[in-house]
Amino acid sequence: MLLLPARVRRIVIEPALVGQASNRLAYLLMIHVRELTKTYTDLERGPFVALAGVTFDAHPGEIYGLLGPNGAGKTTLLRILSTVLRPSGGMATLNGFDVVKQPAMVRRQIGFVSTNTAVYDRMTATEMVVYFGRLHGLDDETLKTRLDIIFDQLQMDEIRNVLGAKMSTGMKQKVSIARALVHDPPILVFDEATVGLDVLVARALLNIIADLRDQGKCVILSTHIMREAERLCDRLAIVHRGHLLAEGTQEAMLREHGEQDLEELFFSLITNHETQTRLDAVAG
Amino acid sequence: MGSTNWSNVRLILARELRDQLRDRRTLFMIAVLPLLLYPLMGMLFMQMAQFMQNHASKVLVVGNEDLNTAEAFVEQGAPLVEYLNQVDLIDVDFEARPETADEGISATAHRRMVDGPYDSVVYFPDDFVMAVFGYADKPRDTARSSAELENDPEARQPRPEIFFNAAKDQSRIAYERVAAALTRWRTNLIQSSLEKYEVPKQASSPFEIAAMDVAEPKFRRAALWSKVLPFVVLVWALTGAFYPAVDLCAGEKERGTLETLLCSPVHRSDIVWGKLLTVMVFSVMTAVLNLLCMVFTASFILSRFDALAAATGTTSLGPPPITSLGWLLVALIPLSALFSALALSLAAMARSSKEGQYYLMPLLMVTMPLMILPMLPSSELNFGTSIIPVSGVVLLLRQLMEGEIRQALIYVLPVALVTGGCCLFAFRWAVDQFNNESVLFRESERFDLIQFFKHILRERSETPGVGMAVLCGLLILLVRFFAGMVVPMPDSWHSFALVTTITLVAFVAVPAAVMSVAFTTSPRRALLLNGTPLTALGAAVLLAACLHPFAIWMSTIITEIYPVNTEALAPLQGLLAGAPLYQLLFVLALLPAVCEELAFRGFILSGLRHLGTKWRAILISSLFFGLTHGMLQQSVMAGLFGMVIGYLAIQTGSLFPCIAFHAVHNGLMISLTQIGEGWTTRWPWLQPLFASSESSSLSGTELPTYAWPVIMAGCLFAAILLRWFRSFPYLPSDEERLHDALEHQPLQPVSQP
Repeated sequence: MLLLPARVRRIVIEPALVGQASNRLAYLLMIHVRELTKTYTDLERGPFVALAGVTFDAHPGEIYGLLGPNGAGKTTLLRILSTVLRPSGGMATLNGFDVVKQPAMVRRQIGFVSTNTAVYDRMTATEMVVYFGRLHGLDDETLKTRLDIIFDQLQMDEIRNVLGAKMSTGMKQKVSIARALVHDPPILVFDEATVGLDVLVARALLNIIADLRDQGKCVILSTHIMREAERLCDRLAIVHRGHLLAEGTQEAMLREHGEQDLEELFFSLITNHETQTRLDAVAG
Repeated sequence: MGSTNWSNVRLILARELRDQLRDRRTLFMIAVLPLLLYPLMGMLFMQMAQFMQNHASKVLVVGNEDLNTAEAFVEQGAPLVEYLNQVDLIDVDFEARPETADEGISATAHRRMVDGPYDSVVYFPDDFVMAVFGYADKPRDTARSSAELENDPEARQPRPEIFFNAAKDQSRIAYERVAAALTRWRTNLIQSSLEKYEVPKQASSPFEIAAMDVAEPKFRRAALWSKVLPFVVLVWALTGAFYPAVDLCAGEKERGTLETLLCSPVHRSDIVWGKLLTVMVFSVMTAVLNLLCMVFTASFILSRFDALAAATGTTSLGPPPITSLGWLLVALIPLSALFSALALSLAAMARSSKEGQYYLMPLLMVTMPLMILPMLPSSELNFGTSIIPVSGVVLLLRQLMEGEIRQALIYVLPVALVTGGCCLFAFRWAVDQFNNESVLFRESERFDLIQFFKHILRERSETPGVGMAVLCGLLILLVRFFAGMVVPMPDSWHSFALVTTITLVAFVAVPAAVMSVAFTTSPRRALLLNGTPLTALGAAVLLAACLHPFAIWMSTIITEIYPVNTEALAPLQGLLAGAPLYQLLFVLALLPAVCEELAFRGFILSGLRHLGTKWRAILISSLFFGLTHGMLQQSVMAGLFGMVIGYLAIQTGSLFPCIAFHAVHNGLMISLTQIGEGWTTRWPWLQPLFASSESSSLSGTELPTYAWPVIMAGCLFAAILLRWFRSFPYLPSDEERLHDALEHQPLQPVSQP
């Protein structure tokens, strides 16, 4: 059975609404991914499968983690969800909009923060956030209000007029988050958001992400840092070589695989998958 | 592309402009460099001009010792040394003739110029004086002509020889100065001789020529500037577009900000519009600032030469007229748009700024000949040249700058249509680059030829890719081009038939067939060798017949725009004249239909459909098809009809209707050429179909033209047939489906699975 956060479970399981449960569920499945695949063609390696039939759902008011080593396919998956890349197969919808057929509408639903999404060197923090706010269609009054809220929330008042070239890594990351939040999207995607940040800034960022979840946003967080996943994610998926090896809450996965902690579970799944891959290669 | 959100375009434009203007290097290159560069160049020019003015030619005169002392020269007051001294910038040394000659005079002169300081050596033979003044006593040889006397070294008069080295500019200048002095000296001797023998001067110069220039000075200046300024301004517009384009695309990829922008809800076409307008602004600014600085500096320098121009009666260059500058600025807008779109498309393909700068050279190589062509003396603005991209605009601009407004306005429409079409094509190409994730996120790869071929063979699909299709087209063009240079002109119909057959089979059909086998998994699908209903075949034949009168009319128009060189065509027409009709139809109708359709509508069109829009695939395949034909007139016709045949290929999904159309089209054209003279007597029932006999004789051809009702009826039936073909179940490629989906994105959520 699909495990939903408590506040959502209450609504769905009420008997009077059983008949309408499927529609409610469809609405509440904010991110809906089915058999998503992505294949690249590499000159030396030939066809390279970056994603192999990944399937999962994510809901509002939860942090869904993607945990995997480097090269697992996490960034590819998130780029597909943010419509920067197109899938080779399968489907994905965000808030009901298809990533292939309605990419512009999908981009209105999400705020995407990645190590690949940089800030402009010759723009100040305010200019950059205002720019993206206007691209999202916000009027001046709404923009001003959002700016004040976000800058206060992220403690960015001191860097309002600092140029991107003069910002530290932590400041740049805050500006990226502010840029992603300005249009108040229901879905937020963080791809390795704490990479390169010092401990203090990383902790502050994780607290911000938790706050966003508490505001009812659907958050997808990709990381290769175990502690982040353990601390923050309501549900997570372990990804390796484009395959989704396990998915669910931490407790459920540990119970299912008979492991004591997430790190042991992670290594166990990865090792088994590696072994299986080699066996398949020999057999094939 | 969907509807463009102009508020987003304005936002992106404003941001990009602000960003570029905050870059000190950009500001320096656009604004400061022109302000410094041209005055510095002007100063350098002035220094060099001064140096060149003060540099005198060093000349050695050998054997003049008797010229200055000979009584005859003294009597006539015409010593050579005085004439030489009158010439500015000549420094003359005199030397006696050597008594013994160890080497020839030519070798001596060469040695004195190479080893010594002399730019030129003048040698007077020892019997020169006698030759100049002894002609009155010498008996005339009336038995031989002047030419025979001239060619006989014994009979030829001794003459001064001016030795110079044409490979060196200094030596050539010295020769010109000495020759000018000797010419004036000779003229004076002639006048003196005439006076001595009491012959009127008119005997040697019966009339003088007076050159009367009716052009006003401002138009003379405009004519001179119109040959220089457009070229310079266009070069600046191109380079001014390229570097910002590289920074806006490849630079953003490097800095990581492109992905940030791609995550926003802006359509890719809006992003391209915003960046395009930014690049255009910088292109125009660069060109205008450089133009103004150059004109100002040049006017200042040239004003120093005004006095010299007035004294010598030559045209004072002066600054260009304001109207000329105005027309230049007007023409700059569409050309900047075109260059900006091309630069943006190329820059989008680059992974880094460094790679992007490498793409400038191919762009220059393509556009530079189009910019230089209008500067040739024989280039003039007519309908044919007005439809050449870039060149047409420059020729139009020249005519406007020279004040020929009325004549220029006739060609504004074709120039605007062609330039607009090229801009649109370049813009769509740029949008495609921004929609292509393999371009946006291309990784660095180490190139290995073996791996590359392995990759191509491994990644084969049923139809070729775009790259393979373009490669096939280029291969066919290149092979036919070089074959045409190597293969001699056939001298009989049989050799012509053999050469044509080999060319079509070996250089057109075989490359396409081989590539379809090697690089696709289904040659049948790649070459569109699918079945088709007989009705489609019949309709294709009928379509060709209906369009035949229109084709004749079009060929007439094209021949009038681009006249055929009848002298060059005469041998070919002679070869075809005596050939049997069935052989002509096989070699010039059926065989080309099969071979060319296999290549252009088979392999090439199948591959080009992966571009995402069927009309672009049809256009490009038609372009290749047209270029394959050797003559310009044929190329234009082939390109136009290639579009119709391409449409048939896509709608029917089969090559056979295309072959039928092509064969019937060619067959009818050939049959018409074989009608011959007196056809109205032999087949009087055909006469109503054709226009009157007076109008049937065309420049260089004997093709009769159809009457207007026949042409119109043919076009009407053709339109009906094309409408019928439209009802065929058109199967879009995957890329065409995706393109269509992106163009028409629904605003409502899709239903959940």
